[in-house]
Amino acid sequence: MAAIDTALAARVSAEAGTNAYKCYQCKKCSTGCPVAGFAELHPAQIIRLVQLGDLDSVLDGDFIWLCTGCETCTTRCPQGIDIAAVMDEMRIIARQTKRVKKDAPFANILDLNLKSMKRWGRLYEVELLMLDKLTRPSSLMDDVGMGIKMFAKGKINPLPTVGDRTQMKRMLAEIEKIKGERS
Amino acid sequence: MKQLAYYPGCSLHGTAPELDSSFRASAAALDVELAEIPGWECCGNTAAHSADRLLAAALPVNELTKVKTDMRLDAVAVPCAACFSRFMAGAHEMQDEGMRADVERVVGRAYPGGVTVRNLVDVYYDEVGLDELTTRVTRPFVGLKVAAYYGCLLTRPPEVTLADDPEYPTHMEAIVKALGAVPVEWSYKTDCCGASLALCEQDVVIELVRKILTNAKACGAEAVVCACPLCQVNLDTRQAGIKTKDAAWQEIPILYLSQMVGRAIGVPEGKLGLKKHMVDVVGVMA
Repeated sequence: MAAIDTALAARVSAEAGTNAYKCYQCKKCSTGCPVAGFAELHPAQIIRLVQLGDLDSVLDGDFIWLCTGCETCTTRCPQGIDIAAVMDEMRIIARQTKRVKKDAPFANILDLNLKSMKRWGRLYEVELLMLDKLTRPSSLMDDVGMGIKMFAKGKINPLPTVGDRTQMKRMLAEIEKIKGERS
Repeated sequence: MKQLAYYPGCSLHGTAPELDSSFRASAAALDVELAEIPGWECCGNTAAHSADRLLAAALPVNELTKVKTDMRLDAVAVPCAACFSRFMAGAHEMQDEGMRADVERVVGRAYPGGVTVRNLVDVYYDEVGLDELTTRVTRPFVGLKVAAYYGCLLTRPPEVTLADDPEYPTHMEAIVKALGAVPVEWSYKTDCCGASLALCEQDVVIELVRKILTNAKACGAEAVVCACPLCQVNLDTRQAGIKTKDAAWQEIPILYLSQMVGRAIGVPEGKLGLKKHMVDVVGVMA
């Protein structure tokens, strides 16, 4: 029996800026979801688990790391729930509580994406690809042939282009400061 | 001469150089001057909104502030749909007073508002306009059947993107019609291609791409035209993966809207980047 956190829905709703309690399980979100057929659970079930306070089942499942963020669920919800924002919040909670599912490759990509942005002020695609291969060995042989073809066609820029890194650092530091004041 | 700020985003400096060059060249030919935002930073997609809501809002608002306060411009062209979505989401978040105060503190100055964000379709449809575009066409497509693909983030969610018809948008169809091409009616124009999972969930992505392109072909399309660098790369490169599972797969070219506009208004071919595609596009663009 999973641990029940009765405050979960209120917390998620406040953080995501939406009201997860309003779901009445019509399942329009799940019907339109492009990855529902590939995942263990579908969006309406995730919302129900949030209402019930069963965080473990959400974080142990693969749905939040298969969600593409396509916003179909949010667009179609007759109750106006920002379901995609709830999925964002579940990924945020997974990261904050260090409960990111171990075999979730998307989590690794997101992590590298953030690091690249912090380092260069922009996303440095080649570095991200290389680091993903190093930190997620199962990806080692993925797309090697395609990568070579794309490089040959000038679609892979080997060098980073750099944004205003001073402002990026300033913004990240200020966010940490705000979080510190409120924790 | 119209002047727009220009936010290319990371893809246009990486996997989508042909979008950058064809967009710049077609804009210039249509008397739209693009001024790149100096020192632009990442828009935050996809990672920031899955990591921190304040960071996700602050990144695009920082750029919008530069456009208005430093560049003194009222509109910004954002040809990447993923970046466009973050810019619109950032502006939308500023309606919340608490969020606005936090974001202004993070960015380090007041958010001025008042910047119109234009995606690739909007630049041709709203900034140039169909009438003007039609008069500029010197080399029309003759009856080429195309499926206009919008994907996720150009239209969804409509409260954020302000799209007037998020389930069945038609602006791209109107544009390609003005260029002499024939848009097809089809069912997958706003279905997600899974590009955000492109690097890590290949089986899922190949299946999503296969469904979209199968429907485009079944509806008579000879090419797909899109307005997002993530969609284009995904739909173009993943056809090799479909072929490994289905040897009989007939490839379909994936064009950028800016390449079609450019070709029809006489932009030199060197600026269109037609050789950069995995699936040959030279035939349909001849």
